[in-house]
Amino acid sequence: MVLAPDHVALTSLFAAVAASFTLAAATALFHRSAGIAPLFSVLGGVCAAVLGIGLVLGPGDVSLAAGRVLDFSPLTLHYDGLSGAFLVAVGLSTAAASLSIVGSGPRSRIEGSGYPLFLLSMVLVLGASDAFSFLLAWELMAVLSALLVVGTRPSGPDLAAGYLYLAMTHVATAAIVIGFAILAAGVGGDLAFAAWRAGSGDLAAGPRDLVFLLVVVGFGTKAGALPFHAWLPRAHPVAPSHVSAVMSGVMIKMGVYGLVRIALDVMGGGPDWWGLVLVVIGASSAVLGVLYALMQHDLKRLLAYHSIENIGIILLGLGSALVLKAHGLPDLAALALAAALFHSLNHAVFKTLLFLGAGAVVHVTGLRDLDRMGGLARIMPVTALTFGVGAAAISGLPPFNGFASEWLVFQGLLGTVASAAVPALARSVAAVTIGALALTAALAVACFVKVTGIAFLGRPRSDAASTGHETSGPARLAMGFLAGSCLALGLAAGPIVTALMSVSRTVLGEFASAPAGLAAVTALPRPAGSGATFAAFALGLLVCAAAIGTASVQRRRGVRVRQVDTWTCGIAPQPAFQYTAASYSKPIRLFFHRILLPEREIRVEYHPGTAFPVSIHYRSQITLLLEDRIFRPGHVLGLRAAKVARRLQGGAIQLYLAYTVIAVLILLLVAR
Amino acid sequence: MSGDDALTSVAFAAVQLVTFLVFAPFLLATIRRTKARLQGRRGPALLQPYRDLAKWWGKAPLESRTATPFGRHAPALVFGCLASAALLVPFAATRAPLVGWGDLFVVVGLLAAARFVLALAAFDAAGAFGAMGSSRDVAIAALAEPGLVLALAGAALAAGSSDLGSISRFGVDQGIGLLGPAHLLAAGAFAIVVVAETGHQPVDNPDTHLELTMIHEAMLLESSGRALATLVYASELKLVLLAALFVAAFLPFGAATEFTPVPLAIGTIVGCAKILLIGQALAVLDAGIAKMRILSLPDLLGVASLLALTGLGTRILLA
Repeated sequence: MVLAPDHVALTSLFAAVAASFTLAAATALFHRSAGIAPLFSVLGGVCAAVLGIGLVLGPGDVSLAAGRVLDFSPLTLHYDGLSGAFLVAVGLSTAAASLSIVGSGPRSRIEGSGYPLFLLSMVLVLGASDAFSFLLAWELMAVLSALLVVGTRPSGPDLAAGYLYLAMTHVATAAIVIGFAILAAGVGGDLAFAAWRAGSGDLAAGPRDLVFLLVVVGFGTKAGALPFHAWLPRAHPVAPSHVSAVMSGVMIKMGVYGLVRIALDVMGGGPDWWGLVLVVIGASSAVLGVLYALMQHDLKRLLAYHSIENIGIILLGLGSALVLKAHGLPDLAALALAAALFHSLNHAVFKTLLFLGAGAVVHVTGLRDLDRMGGLARIMPVTALTFGVGAAAISGLPPFNGFASEWLVFQGLLGTVASAAVPALARSVAAVTIGALALTAALAVACFVKVTGIAFLGRPRSDAASTGHETSGPARLAMGFLAGSCLALGLAAGPIVTALMSVSRTVLGEFASAPAGLAAVTALPRPAGSGATFAAFALGLLVCAAAIGTASVQRRRGVRVRQVDTWTCGIAPQPAFQYTAASYSKPIRLFFHRILLPEREIRVEYHPGTAFPVSIHYRSQITLLLEDRIFRPGHVLGLRAAKVARRLQGGAIQLYLAYTVIAVLILLLVAR
Repeated sequence: MSGDDALTSVAFAAVQLVTFLVFAPFLLATIRRTKARLQGRRGPALLQPYRDLAKWWGKAPLESRTATPFGRHAPALVFGCLASAALLVPFAATRAPLVGWGDLFVVVGLLAAARFVLALAAFDAAGAFGAMGSSRDVAIAALAEPGLVLALAGAALAAGSSDLGSISRFGVDQGIGLLGPAHLLAAGAFAIVVVAETGHQPVDNPDTHLELTMIHEAMLLESSGRALATLVYASELKLVLLAALFVAAFLPFGAATEFTPVPLAIGTIVGCAKILLIGQALAVLDAGIAKMRILSLPDLLGVASLLALTGLGTRILLA
């Protein structure tokens, strides 16, 4: 291996990351008590986060190269600021997720050692700087994550989810390979990203557009964006919770990273419809993701749908950056890209937190169905508190981190609407998108009030939810760390955004000076830290001070609070009086019935001859528009077509000869 | 910011907060009075909301057996979010008391945070009514949110900034020329949103005590004593806040552009007068029209979003 370090300290950090994860894998495989193996993964995650911060702040890049493989291509790694921004997310998420399983061994040795290798593969994806290394790391990530989803002894539905994931991720990889092949052909077969970057201007518009669409399909599938999302809500809930946390928190971000790397960094952006494609995909992912999440009863599946929503929000930032870059507005484009990067980081933190919380609930109560939970705050107060913080953060509420990045996304969209340099169509799309993002944020509030309220407050709805104890110490520590990070990232939004803006500027590169008419745009506020209209830190303190002030005025010393039964119209309160997940989301289900297409079935059996019911059976379900109305019929149609096509293969040699004769005749007619 | 400026800001913030807090129950009293007169009743005294708050403040507290520490602290959190938001909205002058601390999106975010806490705390008592109100409240807010943000975004687009002070200043500078079609469309949208967000007819009946039709009231059903007083006060503050937001973005005339005592005093009086007028309009709605079926609310609030969007489109195409 040839080392060409640009920066010695950062390069040694990278070595530490790789060594820690490898050691974790080896320990899990060979050591009898594999409970300590996750500690090495924690170390690897911490080192990755520190390395990422170092790369973002930018004292230098890290480059490594290994020898040629089969005389085909050298394996090269190059970590820059963009890799760094995603490395921080990977580091924080993996460190916390690994910490949560310290002491509790994995289901099997293979899984125990597959997990750290999966983490390492993500670190390698972020550094790969040529097509061969990238695809190698990408496939490693896909296969290992699929292994972790299905486990070593899969059962029916889990296996189906795993297969669907594996199939979709490989179709996606095929799209990426074709895109890469077109890019490589443009520069005479060179596989290095640097060569593509240098030669990207020479590629004609047609192939460039094709490459863009291919990487949207490829990376969009990995990211779980609509309409390539079908695998995500099936595969994520099946995996063990710490794996779901990493998959939902950071693995899907690798799709976002790939899009930024190829579409913006390597290809240098394109016409504004590239951005609009991403904005439309983003808006529909965000709105439909949260609507479907609201309709779920399964805690982990609900969280998985929220990943689709948040990927949508990230794509809104990325899309508006592409639009703004296409029209020569560098400052706003950098702002919008920084919004996408910041939301990627924030989502990694709070989604990991929420999945670990869900994992703790599943572990302690054995329940995934919200309608059997309730009152869990009494038996697991730490989980309840940290889950509540994560819920507030993902709902985009100040002073937490989710709000800070959504604020930036809003500013990027508003900047697009306000820029006279952008054509009216793109501005109108951005205007509609502002409404869609507002709707998404409000629906996310509704959804997380539902989850948190039903699971953690009120009375237990089943025996499983009423007995139990708090989750393990390391898991509580991990959740506490992530909850603290949600608040810290929100309060420190100013300096973080300033750092991410400089990364964005590097990615966007220098481009032609802005056209006239920019003056109107620059009047729009800049984020905190650069002379600002949102002082995140001060505002956070203000809200806390106001709440504490009110609380201290409100508190009465020496007055006994009398505990009474809740008023339920004169009957003794029963757990069944409480709203369920289905009843809570009913108004929204009915408001959006044209999208959700709900069906319900009520069967009532009466005592013979009276109007008194013996039993009431209620069932309600929604239709998944894309899956049930488009993909499934398409699938059925495809199978039928295959059946018809099979008849061509009769097995008789005369038939095949006849085909040949017909083919030759047609060729003669056509090519005459 | 120099020390002197900081001191002015703090003093200004304190004055605005106190003004809002003193004025909020009075606004509610005038709304009730007007509504009663329109219905041929005399109506409660103008001091009644203050007396109610004082009464609850002194009552011995009761709480449900299922209450958690979160539920106990929720009223303070709700009030804290709304009080913070109150300092970001320009009222007497064309600048907010805390300049540069937050723009329109931050105010919207703080309103959402208050809603989140209140709606979540409604689960605490494990009754059916709390979650019922909560469920309806978040669903209606979800429908109202696009209209709210798009209407304010329209004003921001015209002013070239999402900072509420700049929007307000732009409006005062434009004078009567501000009231173009795009502006009126956005203002109309915002007006519908104010009705929905503050729980007035035809979205919610603020005086109802019939459990099955309650929305906001249902979430307060299990609160008592100071917790109840805090939550009711918070809802009164929210009404003033939204009205002030409407005034700042769409009717800023009369607000002080200079930062000296006399224009500020005039600005405060004019501001209160405008908010009182908005309150009386709400009272007329309360007395004049019946509550809509909850299932037809998407039509009403969809109209708000479309009005705001049309306003934005008008600006994009005509600018």
